[in-house]
Amino acid sequence: MIIKRLGFAIGLAALFLLAAAGLRYAAGSGMLAEETATRVIMALTGLGLAAYANIMPKQLGRARRSPAAEARAQSALRFGGWALTLAGLAYAFLWGFAPLSIARAAAMTVLGAATLATMTYAIWSFTLCREAGDASASR
Amino acid sequence: MNGVFKALSDPTRRKVLELLRKRPMTAGELGEHFPVSKPTMSAHYAVLREANLIDGVKQGTTITYRIKLSVLEEALLGFTRALGIGTGGANAEESAASTSEGRIS
Repeated sequence: MIIKRLGFAIGLAALFLLAAAGLRYAAGSGMLAEETATRVIMALTGLGLAAYANIMPKQLGRARRSPAAEARAQSALRFGGWALTLAGLAYAFLWGFAPLSIARAAAMTVLGAATLATMTYAIWSFTLCREAGDASASR
Repeated sequence: MNGVFKALSDPTRRKVLELLRKRPMTAGELGEHFPVSKPTMSAHYAVLREANLIDGVKQGTTITYRIKLSVLEEALLGFTRALGIGTGGANAEESAASTSEGRIS
């Protein structure tokens, strides 16, 4: 399973690199505008992020000690999955259609905000789990 | 993807997923929410597991189910619930029953 997932990730990364190289070559030889090549590469990156974040809630791992911890972990995965999927789609959309000056700043802001929200939610969930664990252990 | 649509088309299986969204539950805990037999529920769990929408962890004689929905699958679940897909038959039966009752009275 891990090898299959790793193979898929490496394949996808290779595909991205090939696409980027191809688009750069096309832009360099005048077949494609430099701006178009940049937009396509960045939009592909956003879509790749969305595709990966989409399956994030499915990566449950081994079962946790308590049902409460399991529920919190699942909730954090779901929150992160949704936040990063939407951010990836927004990133792709912005790079695809917004003026370049806006796309650069807005895409990074959206992605940064989603990452920050995901990390904050994960840390908050982890803290709640630890507190619940400590409380049950002291009883 | 066909398996996912098949799994989400049934209201009972959708309710199972709704319950598992709150927290992981054992087969017994889930069964308490439905007025159907254990074998029927087991068949529903099997369909959901086959579609990779839930995950079962066996501890002794108990199986604890965990939800395993991707973002897209969760969005599909929301859509099918909002559109009431799969409840048409039940509604039709209910409306047919109420119509026949109206005729009798």
